Amino acid sequence: MTKKKEAHLKEADLLQAVVDEADLPASLQEHLKACRLCRHEKDRLELALAELGDRAEHFAPSPMKRVALPVRGSTRRALPWYWNWRRTLVAGMVTAVAAVIVVYGAISVKNLEEAELAALTQEMWEDDLFMIEVSALSENALPLFCSDVSGESYPDFDEEFIDFVVPSTETDLVSCGGGGVKC
Amino acid sequence: MEHLDQAQSQPPLAGNGVQVTSLVKLARDGDRAAFGRLVELFQEPIFRMVYYRTRSRMDAEDLTQDIFVKAFKSLAKLRDLERFRPWLFRMAVNRVTDFYRKKRLLAIFKTRDHDSEADPKDVEAQQDPSALDDVIKEEFWKLVTSFSNTLSRREKEVFFLRFMDHLSIREIAQVLDKSESAVKTHLYRGLKKFKEDASLLQLLEASRP
Repeated sequence: MTKKKEAHLKEADLLQAVVDEADLPASLQEHLKACRLCRHEKDRLELALAELGDRAEHFAPSPMKRVALPVRGSTRRALPWYWNWRRTLVAGMVTAVAAVIVVYGAISVKNLEEAELAALTQEMWEDDLFMIEVSALSENALPLFCSDVSGESYPDFDEEFIDFVVPSTETDLVSCGGGGVKC
Repeated sequence: MEHLDQAQSQPPLAGNGVQVTSLVKLARDGDRAAFGRLVELFQEPIFRMVYYRTRSRMDAEDLTQDIFVKAFKSLAKLRDLERFRPWLFRMAVNRVTDFYRKKRLLAIFKTRDHDSEADPKDVEAQQDPSALDDVIKEEFWKLVTSFSNTLSRREKEVFFLRFMDHLSIREIAQVLDKSESAVKTHLYRGLKKFKEDASLLQLLEASRP
């Protein structure tokens, strides 16, 4: 046996030989023909594969009914797989629920928009009132009962009248002591 | 390769001495009896192919029925009569894919799928563990399921079509509309994982006489 013949097939080559022996390089094909050991390994794997097929066939049941061909000239079309009353009922219910959700959702969104608009209008109206109050306070910050004291509520009382009621200290001689000396 | 070559090199169902191509031609020309004969020839392989993927006899029967009705209606579209087998398997692969798509859709709505309920026969078998064959069968399918879960979707499809449905690489390429080299790549990866799955390999080797 030459040195070349002693170089046995690697596992990859062995698998390749099982897939298709003709795909192996010519030298390996030669070796496979000559080497009993490599041949045995290949046969072992092939036997296991043949056994797999045989066992699968043996353990598979046989069909119990014969294939029935469509009746000649039959115009009745086969119903599609989804045409089943139970499935149709479920599909109908799902569609109805989906429709209710969509409609209810749309109405809810609409109601929400209307409510938001009303709240916004109310808020704007309250803001306007508040601004009126602010303007009034900036004109006259005193409360109403102080207006009389401040004279705000007596527009006819002029400076001369006030001087009459409360004279100026410049003309008050008594308060500066005797002698009629001006302070 | 001898064991696999045997299955691969045989013309489809040649053992029955039936010329599938001529039957396909007759069926395409409107011969219902010829199509009936094709159903007889291919019902079991297609049923098994679907069963391997659904693990339900009832589902497999219903889907097989659908596949043949569809094949009957669209046979006129088949141009290359010699490709009937891959054409039929392609239809089956697509139908199984649709079945799982529908199942996933129904799972979203949590609709109880009455069609996929366990077969009474299977339930009976599970309740009677004394039957050794049923225990072995259950163990086998458990290991196959566990192994197939390690494969990608494409690897699983290629591996099953090759080693369980016994299609050739060329036929698989036609079924999946892929190049032969792409099929070989997926097959190689699937085989690598198969070799690494010690439990399934052990079971298969132990059961060998």
